[in-house]
Amino acid sequence: MSTIDTTSGKRSALAPLGKPLAAVGGVLGIVAALLPWVTFSLNDGNWPDKSTLQFFDAPLAVTGFRWHVLLLGVFILVAAFAPIPSRGRVVRALGWGLAVISFINGAYITSKGGGLGAITAAEGVTAFGSIAGLVAGVLTILAGYGIGLEPVGLWKFKPSKPIAYLVLLVSFAAVLFAVAAMLTTGGVGTSNPYAGAIFLSFLGFAGGVLGALSGVGFVRWLSVLSEEHRVFSVIVLAACALLLPFTDAGNEYWMTVAANIGIYAATAIGLNIVVGLAGLLDLGYVAFMGIGALVAANFSGAAAANFGIELPFPVAAVIAAVVAGAFGAIVGSPTLRVRGDYLAIVTLAFGEIFTRSAQNDIGGISNGSNAIPGIPAVSLFGKEFNRELTLGAVKLPAGVLYYILIVLLVAATMAVFANLKFSRIGRAWIAIREDEDAARAMGIQTGKKKILAFLIGATLAGLAGAVFAHKNGTVSYESFKFLESVTLLAAVILGGMGSIPGAVLGASLLFVLPEKLRDFDNYRLMIFGLALILIMRFRPQGLIPDRHRRAELADEDVGGVPVDEVHEVPKEAKA
Amino acid sequence: MSVLLQQLANGVVQGSLIALIALGYTMVYGIIQLINFAHGEVFMVASYGGLATFTLLPDDLKKSPAVALPLMFVGGIVVAVVVAVIMERFAYRPLRNAPRLAPLITALGVSVFLQEAVRVWYPNATSNLPYPKVFPEGNLTLGPVNIPWTGVLLVVLSVGLSILLQTYINRSRMGRAMRATAQDPDTAKLMGVNPDRVIVLTFIFGAVLAGVAGVMFGGYLSNINIDMGFQNGIFAFTAAVLGGVGSIRGAVIGAFIIGLIKTLAGQYMPGGTQYDYVWIFVVLILVLVFRPQGLFGEPERVRA
Repeated sequence: MSTIDTTSGKRSALAPLGKPLAAVGGVLGIVAALLPWVTFSLNDGNWPDKSTLQFFDAPLAVTGFRWHVLLLGVFILVAAFAPIPSRGRVVRALGWGLAVISFINGAYITSKGGGLGAITAAEGVTAFGSIAGLVAGVLTILAGYGIGLEPVGLWKFKPSKPIAYLVLLVSFAAVLFAVAAMLTTGGVGTSNPYAGAIFLSFLGFAGGVLGALSGVGFVRWLSVLSEEHRVFSVIVLAACALLLPFTDAGNEYWMTVAANIGIYAATAIGLNIVVGLAGLLDLGYVAFMGIGALVAANFSGAAAANFGIELPFPVAAVIAAVVAGAFGAIVGSPTLRVRGDYLAIVTLAFGEIFTRSAQNDIGGISNGSNAIPGIPAVSLFGKEFNRELTLGAVKLPAGVLYYILIVLLVAATMAVFANLKFSRIGRAWIAIREDEDAARAMGIQTGKKKILAFLIGATLAGLAGAVFAHKNGTVSYESFKFLESVTLLAAVILGGMGSIPGAVLGASLLFVLPEKLRDFDNYRLMIFGLALILIMRFRPQGLIPDRHRRAELADEDVGGVPVDEVHEVPKEAKA
Repeated sequence: MSVLLQQLANGVVQGSLIALIALGYTMVYGIIQLINFAHGEVFMVASYGGLATFTLLPDDLKKSPAVALPLMFVGGIVVAVVVAVIMERFAYRPLRNAPRLAPLITALGVSVFLQEAVRVWYPNATSNLPYPKVFPEGNLTLGPVNIPWTGVLLVVLSVGLSILLQTYINRSRMGRAMRATAQDPDTAKLMGVNPDRVIVLTFIFGAVLAGVAGVMFGGYLSNINIDMGFQNGIFAFTAAVLGGVGSIRGAVIGAFIIGLIKTLAGQYMPGGTQYDYVWIFVVLILVLVFRPQGLFGEPERVRA
């Protein structure tokens, strides 16, 4: 009840101003886009308006992030007056997007241009673009609170099959487009001095629009739709992923990065079974990937391999998965007696034992700190996977075959995950996660089911590890340390526990951001630690939360009030 | 024989160090059932705080250990307490009523953040940093056994501080409030205990002990690095679990057992010191599986 009081409390201060504020914010946003942003040319050349997301050539003479600001301004105006559900949330999200873009560009220009003069007035030139944008963003956010944040509505609309397919197809194509744009904005690595800023401001735009879509209820509706047609969704998604090499992102660099992301995404999905579905916190999960990688490396026929047997990749991968799965069952067996955070510590201890043993070359299979280098590339049908590929007239860059292999791997793990989740076993896992004693009382053999979760999760990780070994060519214990386990866990949590797209999104963000933000390389892990703290504080259910009610991290109220609204209550009560 | 005695002595010294850290884990867990993963990093930060204090001292003070050493302890303890209080206030307190996984993951985040903060911002923190030689030098020789005076100091501090802590918790008014909060926070609140204050105080006590441990660690091993927090934190946590989480006496005895396992396994088990870690983790797993309440914990306390 008190939740409603707090919103109405906010409403009373800003309510009459809500719509006008939004309108002012929108207009100011449009104005900001058309104002100049920099007072002089920077040393590294003009502030880059250009980003890759361009439909037309400089409409209204604005490009790049200014074009995004313009779009957001128009969206805000539309949202202020069009009859849409939960207007407050939509407006707030768009406002955040506007504020973030303005702030990032303003901050970059200030720091590169040597002071506030760069974004205000200097040498007779004025450039108040970023300040106007920031003010517009803040006004719009306030307007969102003023209009009031009703809970996100549930769309009852159920389209017929062809229309549903069409909607899914268009949505996933849009996702593909966004991913390609996200990868290529700002160029590759350090070639563009402004790459970080361009990328972050694109992220601000994408986040704002996504937040608006989710505010209006579209994202939720889409996720229901895609779960209803999940076979079709997986196929379309896989097809979209396979089309990525044909977009701007289809160069060797991004194929390599995307393949690495895919490996971690597949592993994260496996971890999601253990953590997200069964609710068992595993802090040593990356060890299973390491075991898979070691097994595959030793059967690969590399000079440093210790078994002297060379097996074809599919056979080695299966063995790797089986061995990792067996270790998973062993590591999982304490779950029969240990629960909760004690279990987390047991898994952490197993993970550390693995790292230590591999570091000291236990049993002579890991070569210790010398690693196992020179693992040959996967070779199937007489084609080595690290070469480029020519399909008719189209020449695809090197690494594309690995990319395809890994997309198939991710699709397979997704299919396994989805089928398990909606099966009897999956329901048993979820029951265990919610209340183990009750689950046992209902006749679920909790011990067996928990070990099974570990086993399946570890098998998937072992498979991913085998691909990892061949893809990278080297297996060293260094790649499987505690921090990697934490990163994977963070990917699962950031994306949303128990949700399939969540794990992929989480893994992508955690592994793309460092590639894009080379400027901040030194601060990468620090930001990462801070991000973990902030996510747990403000959005424990993750970016794409699982639809099911979860007791472990964030339970949505019966009335559908998201958990972050509930959390605000004590703060207000104290004031 | 003399090797065995020497390793026993080393084990006791290492155990004392681990005990100082383990007390912080066990007190926090006893009161809010949180595995404060970041506590090991508090210990690490304290060590760097002590070093920074020494670096900032004027040159003539650096030469007189009688002044420099106490100041380093003060510096280390202050840094540890400040970090612990900030951590409690901004990371853990907002999650007090959240589901149990949330604070655990937050603690991981805090741990990574603290380690990275020191790595990035402390000058030259990427390599081992030598600790100043202001500690008493030389050894205490008892027959075949040589114990450095820093080791003796460590044992004395550790045992003394834990007895002091135990007495405080058993005798003082605030100590009673702590025990009441640990048993039943809601009822304690009804009895007029301010849980926020009790919890902050618990974190502060843990941080003070970690501060002492951090500075002594530098004195005993004569150099420090940013990984020390994670390693010793895991040892200390194992000790706390072994002794029974929530029990002061248990944590200290558990720490001595862990210290002895570490040195004896390093000496006598196959693989030597490279595998002493592994044996400690094996003990941890065995304890958790077969006696999760630890040696001195009550069985019903495990509510995981």
